[in-house]
Amino acid sequence: MSTVFGFSASSWAASCCGGGSASSLVLPKFSQAMVDVSLDFESYDGFWKSDGNWTPDPAGSDLNQYRLNLGYAYRLAPRWQASVSLPYVWNKNQYASFSRDTNGLGDTKLSIWYEQFDKVACVWKVKKWQDLIPAVYWGGTLTLPTGTSQYDGVDDNFDITGLGMYRLDANVLFDKTVYPWNMSLSANYGKYLERPVNREYGTYVEPYDKQRGDRFNSTLSFGYTHFTEEMQSITGTIAYAYLQEDEARIDGVVDSTSGMQKRSASATLAWASEDRNWVTKLTWSHALDRDGWGKNFPTTDVVTLGVSHVLR
Amino acid sequence: MSCVNSWCKYFSLALLLSMLSACGDLTDDLTPSSDDKRATVTAGTTGYMPGQLAADFTISTSTAASFQLSDNLSAGAAPADVVVLYFTMWCPICLAHSDHIYNVVMPQFAGRGTIVYALVDYVSGSVSASRASEQANGYAGSDFVTLVDDQRALMDQFNGAMGTVVVIDSDGTVLMNEDYRNGATLMNVLEQQLP
Repeated sequence: MSTVFGFSASSWAASCCGGGSASSLVLPKFSQAMVDVSLDFESYDGFWKSDGNWTPDPAGSDLNQYRLNLGYAYRLAPRWQASVSLPYVWNKNQYASFSRDTNGLGDTKLSIWYEQFDKVACVWKVKKWQDLIPAVYWGGTLTLPTGTSQYDGVDDNFDITGLGMYRLDANVLFDKTVYPWNMSLSANYGKYLERPVNREYGTYVEPYDKQRGDRFNSTLSFGYTHFTEEMQSITGTIAYAYLQEDEARIDGVVDSTSGMQKRSASATLAWASEDRNWVTKLTWSHALDRDGWGKNFPTTDVVTLGVSHVLR
Repeated sequence: MSCVNSWCKYFSLALLLSMLSACGDLTDDLTPSSDDKRATVTAGTTGYMPGQLAADFTISTSTAASFQLSDNLSAGAAPADVVVLYFTMWCPICLAHSDHIYNVVMPQFAGRGTIVYALVDYVSGSVSASRASEQANGYAGSDFVTLVDDQRALMDQFNGAMGTVVVIDSDGTVLMNEDYRNGATLMNVLEQQLP
């Protein structure tokens, strides 16, 4: 089950000021590059049906997915940066009558970001109204279907590590820090590209065209930073995320059995070195197993451990 | 520090390349094909492809009754015009599909011949667990019969996967074997097959 629906966004270990709580892979201002490595442990616990009612998984099932995410961001120009992120996915599914462990490359994301600000937008004290202006990032992301999808030569859904579809996302990220407080809001709107399908789970079928529905994702977060005497920082962040995908189309006809919705909350603890060149982050994301908090989607807990290194 | 920076860059590049090179099916989705690659099927042979004859099978239901395919064919004790098998793992997509069958397909074809709608449960592993899943998801007492594929025999026989729907006519010929998608193909097949 874990491999069917797509994957949670990783939490990334930096922000415009460095050491913060951004939900996207963005470089701190004036830095040249960043390497980010994180490990997701995602545990599945039931799902919401299409009417929003929560339902447990079949008795005896233990469904998990682990992802190793490699991210690299590089500054192209003072206001422009690009990044690539690549997951490697392990599926570990246990049911009452059988178990399946599979692994493979996930879908790759290529992003480009434009920073609509010249100076670091983090302040210690608000002295004039301009101090309240947030850092604003505008971005675009292309998802490449490098994972193994149901349209490849697989036996069944347990082998899946990707969605098999190209997607273009428009992104915006607002990030404001007035120490010790931080707030950020990110939003993405994604459009899948239609693709031909001639195979399902390894069996060739009469070709048809499929396009998944548009996807909207938004995250609002609040953080508090504590500085040690050595000026290392420890940032605690709580966030609320909303994800929605519209109904798919098959040969142009709406698939009323598709589409989904998910709401989740997360808590993050990040430690940054005094020079902000190293950030270590631990995130716990939780989806409430209650009616009305999602539709047509599994409820999961995701624990992410990440480390990033900023190259000045 | 520059040494560390260079090491990080080269390590990242090497890891990226090694991940990409490990993927055999990488280009299948990057350059998807619209070519029809279905194998040619010889009518009358036994198999799971449309046009082939389905091999007979006997399997337990979630109420511990016995379900035999041939009983539901034209020469059987309880002949039906078609048998519809839907492979479920009781997941959101599976339930969206089976709800669609229950709420849209069944009413649309009610009164047009005899149709056996079966959910093939290949994950619960026992009659009691399958019954519990059936009840938890609201299908107990419905017009579906739930088949307990605890050995995944039907999965293997029909090369099934999550969401696969198989339609078998009264002669035992497979009319359809593919993902449910939006149900349109199933309804087309039933429309053509039923009186």
